Amino acid sequence: MGIKVKVLGRGTYEIEYRNGMRVSDVFKKLGLLSTEYVAVRNGEVLIEDEKVNDGDELVLYAVVSGG
Amino acid sequence: MVKCSICGRRAVYTSRTSGHSYCNRHFTDYFSKKVRRTIRKYQLFRPNDHIIVAVSGGKDSLALLHFLKKLSRYSPRWKITALLVDEGISGYRDITIKRFQEIVSDLAINYEIVSFKEELGYTLDQVVSSKHGKEYLPCTYCGVFRRYLLNKAARKIGGTVVATAHNLDDIIQTYIMNIIGNDWDKIIRLAPISGPATHPRLVRKVKPFYEILEKETTVYAIINNLYTGFEECPYARLSLRWYIRRWLNELEEKRPGTKYAILNSLLSILDILSKKTNLSLNEEIDTCIFCGEPSANPICRACDLKTRLSSIELNPDAHKRIDELKHLFTNKYRILPITKQHYTT
Ligand SMILES: [Zn+2]
Ligand SMILES: [Zn+2]
Repeated sequence: MGIKVKVLGRGTYEIEYRNGMRVSDVFKKLGLLSTEYVAVRNGEVLIEDEKVNDGDELVLYAVVSGG
Repeated sequence: MVKCSICGRRAVYTSRTSGHSYCNRHFTDYFSKKVRRTIRKYQLFRPNDHIIVAVSGGKDSLALLHFLKKLSRYSPRWKITALLVDEGISGYRDITIKRFQEIVSDLAINYEIVSFKEELGYTLDQVVSSKHGKEYLPCTYCGVFRRYLLNKAARKIGGTVVATAHNLDDIIQTYIMNIIGNDWDKIIRLAPISGPATHPRLVRKVKPFYEILEKETTVYAIINNLYTGFEECPYARLSLRWYIRRWLNELEEKRPGTKYAILNSLLSILDILSKKTNLSLNEEIDTCIFCGEPSANPICRACDLKTRLSSIELNPDAHKRIDELKHLFTNKYRILPITKQHYTT
């Protein structure tokens, strides 16, 4: 199934799920800094240590905005 | 599942410096305590203040508006007005104004909008694409005109204080930029509260989010439904700030706590600078000879930029002569507070 990640302002990406995967791994996979994005699943904010599941849909909100 | 260090519910935020995790509710408490501590420590507000919240339309300023509105329950004599400066950046500003109006209406807050177009005669897009608008980066024009109009409009509305949503990240980025520029007189202005120099037409400025990380304002905005979608200013990537921000974020990722350490460095230098005797912080602020607004120089930055943008065709010699005159005039009335040291190889 994999994980669907919508990065606001960038686009949508599909990444492969691996056992024990965490939000921080999703950031790494996409080359993003955890200081620059906040991950949300079903309207709930996730911390970087939170585990993700196969089939999850995440929305990443940019911390960096233009003002 | 990572649990809240206080109540054990699912965590939405972990402070990487303290190691504490917080659920929705306890994150709000943590956030609120931090901002209230800043407000108290630097005495940002008075009981009868008419607070003008400078709103850009982005998550940080909407979070500030939301936060101060909630806090005003404990300060019944406060009056709050939201003030949006419309720079006239097409495709960016149009979207945020609509969302801004929805949010102020939800929060039952009065608002005002001032625009570059109406107040200066041109939008930022027009400035940047004009013949003389290439001298500086867009962010310079935008920053100078925004600050200028913010003060002017806040005063007209009857505001006693302007609250801006500058967060810890914004402040340390500016600090680093000014270190690079050797601009110590600008660093003095990075305190949580403006002053002590005053001018009858200058409204006091405060930064309640001084000790709040940008990541924290983002979480606050998301859980309070204030995140308006991602709109990046189309000019943002042209600025030095953009590189410094990236560099600081990479550093923070590898060495959590770096940002707080830089803020502490800034607070130390502010303390040192305030004690430096040849730095007359209490000196009277000048009045611009063109527009009558408060200014660090006899001609304010906004009027200076406006004359440079002037459509009057002057030959290069005339421009040079004007610069010389400005320089002469400036030096006659103002002694630079700090002698810049220049190291040359
Ligand atoms: Zn809790
Ligand atoms: Zn002026």
